[in-house]
Amino acid sequence: MRRRLPGFLLAAPAWAWLTIFFIAPVAMVVWFSFGYKPSIFATQATDKLSFDRYAEVLTPTFFATFQNTLWVGVVGTVLCFLIGLPVAYWMAVKAPPSKRGLLVALVMVPFWTNFLVRTIGWQVILAPEGVLSTMLQGVGFEPLAILNTRGAVLIGVVYNYLPLMILPLFVAFDRVNGPLREASKDLGAGKLTTFFRITLPLAQPGIVAGVLLVFIPLMGDYITATVLGGAKGNMVGQLVASQFQTAQNWALGSAMAVVLIFVILLTAAAGAILVWLVSWPFRARNRLVIGTAPAAASVPVREEVAA
Amino acid sequence: MSLRQAERPARRARPAWSDVAFNIWGILVLLFLFAPILVIIASSFNVGRLLVSWDQFGFDSFLALLAKPALRDAVWISVQTGFIAALVATLLGTLAGIAMARHAGKWVWWFLGLLLLVSVTPEIVDAVALLPWMVFLGQDLGMSIFNDGIVRLVVGHSLFSVAVVSYLVRARLVGQEAKLEEASADLYATPARTFRKVTLPLAMPAVLAGFLLSFTLSLDNTVIAAFVSVSGSTPWPVYVLSALRSGLRPEIAAVSTVMLVLTLVALGLVALVLRRAGDSAADIARTMAGS
Repeated sequence: MRRRLPGFLLAAPAWAWLTIFFIAPVAMVVWFSFGYKPSIFATQATDKLSFDRYAEVLTPTFFATFQNTLWVGVVGTVLCFLIGLPVAYWMAVKAPPSKRGLLVALVMVPFWTNFLVRTIGWQVILAPEGVLSTMLQGVGFEPLAILNTRGAVLIGVVYNYLPLMILPLFVAFDRVNGPLREASKDLGAGKLTTFFRITLPLAQPGIVAGVLLVFIPLMGDYITATVLGGAKGNMVGQLVASQFQTAQNWALGSAMAVVLIFVILLTAAAGAILVWLVSWPFRARNRLVIGTAPAAASVPVREEVAA
Repeated sequence: MSLRQAERPARRARPAWSDVAFNIWGILVLLFLFAPILVIIASSFNVGRLLVSWDQFGFDSFLALLAKPALRDAVWISVQTGFIAALVATLLGTLAGIAMARHAGKWVWWFLGLLLLVSVTPEIVDAVALLPWMVFLGQDLGMSIFNDGIVRLVVGHSLFSVAVVSYLVRARLVGQEAKLEEASADLYATPARTFRKVTLPLAMPAVLAGFLLSFTLSLDNTVIAAFVSVSGSTPWPVYVLSALRSGLRPEIAAVSTVMLVLTLVALGLVALVLRRAGDSAADIARTMAGS
């Protein structure tokens, strides 16, 4: 009887905990999103169910915020990728192996510093009376007027999510590092060819992880926009928060949260399809190479003999 | 390659321009990553009234930290919550991780799916979902324990951490074969004894790392805390968030600096534990990036 107890029961407490405090609350929010706000004193009611709250979310005012969030999300993720990719490559391939641990630690410290504090740091830097502005005025520039604009939010999100891009990319490049790249060089491929034909395709899982790790939380961000965005830098996260905290319209806030999740999923899916289509010709070519691996392996031998 | 090295052993090749560019870019990005943190640390030694405008150097803000009960209480609430949340997450996550590694089956995919869902859901969604849920449990169902500030914070902070600890423990055990457990069973140890004497010690580095990571995650949690916390048990990030509206004073920077040091100590311990257990820099990066 002792041994008949199925082992997966060990996971039952975690399963129950997450069901009660994650699945159930989120399900309740979905349920609320079909309801309405009955009076100024009540937050929500679900005796009459309808899609009216979703119609309300799609009105021009809210739609503009969704558009803005999507813009910040996509541009922010692309910038993180463009800035983070060389850094991760540098850490994993170019930097001396003895320094690797230190570099990882250096990227980790900002990542684990409180999100809100880091963002406040940017507020201090970007403020018109702050450090950067004073320095710029010292060399004859106007006081900085970037705080409370979409530009400030973009700087903030790129900063806040950059480590989430660098770390998975570093792990991916670190795995590819070594024999395969050397083999590619031995076979006469240049640096760029090796990077685009060997390193990048093999680092693909890390790239996907990095992009998703940045894009998903970025779309739901609420702190960065609150600290740096002011009135112009509205993001959906703030909108959802305000419906729950100040407007006390839980029905509308719930509908917004559900729409936000759908927008994230749809954008991620659209991005995946786009990448799949764009990389189609390259993959066809790479598959050919891998398919004829034994023949390719014999090439260097022949060349060495010829030389 | 080796031939060429033998030909001219003394002369070192000039570094390629691309390597120089990589070095410069890497260092610039690291500076970018540290800029706001250094600004905050510097600001905590500012004696001025406001955080943004520098007055003069001094330790007044740290003394204010000791004098202001609201801020001190906020830090204490955070530390308590972090400790309890880390305990809960470690307990649940360790059991789940062991179950996934040692009792694999089709259920593991479902469970991993649930963990993935927990870790990718934007925090704001968790936060707005937990607020009405706590009200529902505490007031509509009359479970008054859910009206308690610390309980609410612990629940909210533990969700992501449960997923993190589960991943860590599973990864550690999947990497090591179950032979030791089988040997222990062959030598007539009861399952409970095998669990305590063999499986748990094997998983221990991951359990410890998971505990410390959960503690720091909870210490820094702002979004969920802002929604579920009740007045009287405000954790420090929520205090900072409310200070944002009423004007940032140098004490805010001082408390941030103190908490940063606390976080770094915890992270240093994580790295030490993982190093001892034989992880490389990349393994540690993977662990701490939560992927």
